[in-house]
Amino acid sequence: MLYGCSTPQTPQNLLALTDAQLKIRSIQTRTFDVKDRNAAIRGVIASLQDLGFIIERANEPLGLVTAARFAEPNYYDVISVTVTVRQDTKDSLTIRANAVYNNKPIEDPKVYQNFFASLERSLFLTKE
Amino acid sequence: MVRTGIFLISLVLLNGCVTHTEPAELFQLTAETAKHRAMQTRFFETPNEKELLSASAAVLQDLGFQVEESVREVGFLRATKERSAREYGQYIQRALFLVLSLGKLLTPVDLHQKIAAGLITKPLNQEATRQQVRIVFYRVVWKGDGQADRQYIPPGQQHMEMIRDPEIYQQFFAKLSKAVFLEAHTI
Repeated sequence: MLYGCSTPQTPQNLLALTDAQLKIRSIQTRTFDVKDRNAAIRGVIASLQDLGFIIERANEPLGLVTAARFAEPNYYDVISVTVTVRQDTKDSLTIRANAVYNNKPIEDPKVYQNFFASLERSLFLTKE
Repeated sequence: MVRTGIFLISLVLLNGCVTHTEPAELFQLTAETAKHRAMQTRFFETPNEKELLSASAAVLQDLGFQVEESVREVGFLRATKERSAREYGQYIQRALFLVLSLGKLLTPVDLHQKIAAGLITKPLNQEATRQQVRIVFYRVVWKGDGQADRQYIPPGQQHMEMIRDPEIYQQFFAKLSKAVFLEAHTI
């Protein structure tokens, strides 16, 4: 009863950056020597489709792609991923991917390595 | 002997329920990737990507879909349609189970479904004289209510599946090819 009355306190460090977050950011980010931003976004979409993801939203001006897929063979767990493509310099751009398993952020570096490996393939194929 | 058999079978079934795929595996290309891509993709000899995209939207409309999202700059369309998912067979099965369980088990049947399509067009070469169209269909099915012994099963339980019937894709591309007066080439 008493417990129910007290309002839960919002933690002060809710938005603070931790070391772990910085590490995850570096795992989730890659820089590519690609000039054409639009082609890179299309490459991201193509590789997500190859990986069996369903594209949910895309925004070209912001370089944003959101996609999801089921953790096949089960159709109850969902993996969502948001990818952002940003122009760094004239001939390089940064791609960042965030993946979530149901409501849990994925922090396994292997997931991102695999994603970027397939993205590299699709960017390379587009260049040909 | 029979008991061990049943035990083993239930063990296998239980095991089947908790299959868990590591997220890292889901971000890997598999042996089936190329097969799915070939089924979902066609290319057209045309420089006009916009025309292809708007024709795709028109075909989806013809098929009863509502376009929910579109981004011309990356050639993206997402469309859905909601339909009844009732199947005659499921009702027969439900009645059969009800009789066999002496009126204790009323299995939920599929009531409603949402079929969704995600479509992407993409230029295939530098000069953009050849365009690729890739479409993915999937569906979400909602079940009605049921009863197991005295326990009521509320409606709304859902399950989802990717549609991997090649014929569905062939039909879509046949319509698209007619709409743009171009031949749809397989990759």
